[in-house]
Amino acid sequence: MAKTYEEINERIRSRKAVVYTAEEIMEVVKKKGIEKAAEEVDVVTTGTFGAMCSSGAFLNFGHATPPIRMTDILLNDVPVDGGLAAVDTYVGATSLTKDPKGGYGGAHVIEDLIAGKSVHLHASGPGTDCYVRKEIDTYISLDDINEAYLYNPRNCYQNYGIATNTSGRTIYTYMGKLLPRMKNATYSSAGQLSPLLNDPHCDTIGIGTHIFLGGGEGYVSWQGTQFKTTPEEVNGVPVGGARTLALIGDMRQMDAKYVRGLDITGYGISMAVGVGVPIPILNKDILQRCCITDEQIYAELTDYSLPSGRSCMQRYNYAELRTGSIEYEGRKIRTSSLSSYSGARKVAGELKSWVENGEFELVKPIRALPREAKLKSLTEEWM
Amino acid sequence: MTMEKKYKISYNENNVQGSVAYILVKEFDLTPNILKAEIEGDGTGKMVLSVKGEPDVIDRGIQRIQDAGYNVIPLCSHITRDDSKCWDCGACVSLCPTHSLRVDPETFEVNLGIETCIACGACVNACSVHALKLVL
Repeated sequence: MAKTYEEINERIRSRKAVVYTAEEIMEVVKKKGIEKAAEEVDVVTTGTFGAMCSSGAFLNFGHATPPIRMTDILLNDVPVDGGLAAVDTYVGATSLTKDPKGGYGGAHVIEDLIAGKSVHLHASGPGTDCYVRKEIDTYISLDDINEAYLYNPRNCYQNYGIATNTSGRTIYTYMGKLLPRMKNATYSSAGQLSPLLNDPHCDTIGIGTHIFLGGGEGYVSWQGTQFKTTPEEVNGVPVGGARTLALIGDMRQMDAKYVRGLDITGYGISMAVGVGVPIPILNKDILQRCCITDEQIYAELTDYSLPSGRSCMQRYNYAELRTGSIEYEGRKIRTSSLSSYSGARKVAGELKSWVENGEFELVKPIRALPREAKLKSLTEEWM
Repeated sequence: MTMEKKYKISYNENNVQGSVAYILVKEFDLTPNILKAEIEGDGTGKMVLSVKGEPDVIDRGIQRIQDAGYNVIPLCSHITRDDSKCWDCGACVSLCPTHSLRVDPETFEVNLGIETCIACGACVNACSVHALKLVL
């Protein structure tokens, strides 16, 4: 029998909701059968905790006396956007200090603010008749400023590739340190715990979905950038990066242990964000898709020593990847995850306890994400 | 009972041509293993040496190296990790030649076993949160 969001929320409010994480649910379904489990279970919680460069935060500093229209803004020496209104900014996660070796960037500014630290603000502007001040130097924290919300244009990549390096030298990529001659390979997905692998066609996840974001609550605001539905599917889920989510949430609710600035050697700054999405078990088809296991989810090994045109060398499932090594043409390649599976598990577990304790209700999406979407590439036109 | 000890040995233009390993093998029958070695343009440099043998023989061997003009500092040599920073991503795991960094198959947390660490430092620049350090 199908359930509605309102019925599930009623059970959450009365603390009777039956909730499992996307890992726990497999055993439950095995024991009870899909029909019975679909009747009994209200929510399955998912989680992911990995690097996503397309992250950032909007801040409003409040006006000084006399006021300034800031155009060049530094937070702890990291340049942040000066292209918004007088005292608004967007802190892009990958923005770097002038000294790129400092290993500190926009993501670290965001982490520091969430951790309650004071951040150095230096801003200048042209000085206008309405904003006469030309410079300001002060310190801010989340207690001193107005709005502060994380806005990540892209998160929760549905799946991703596996990176290796066939060349003769170590290369440093956003997929980590790749040793020469395929000595290692890296991958980055929470696999069976990952939100978009448990609801692969976004039957329940849409605009307005209420989520766990960085330790606080947030929402799905739009499809993420580079959202596409074209990759081939195996076992009902894509074998490469496909759907993504744009997310928004209040930084003041967040916990710095779930929002981490990352310094990726040879690449730059990125941000790891813990994201958890609850999946309402409205019917048995939705539950069936939550039972996907690492053995069923495949990703493609590609050679990151090639500048472009990285074609698939072989497919591996996440259960194989998590053993610590894979085989390619008879040789062993050691593997590293770049996203934290233990972190993903903590996110899914924390979200589960919120729902069980009646602290977190589900929100029915106000609009579905695109059913079909393909990506364009950037072309260079010569006149 | 044999044991293994690790040392940081610094040399200069006066003794850079000498062979520390040869002295330890020939005169003391020890088993030296050079884990890392660097020579700067001016002839100065340092190496990380592991030495296997009887404890008292190792001590005599190291004394002999010091007497030969090398600066020797014993190392508790292994990687150190600031656990409060580590977020258990696992980027370091496939880079560790001795499997001293491992993912726990139950908890999926990344564990550092310092007994087997050879202080090669391959993991250090792969750590996105600067939790791993090798002080030579």
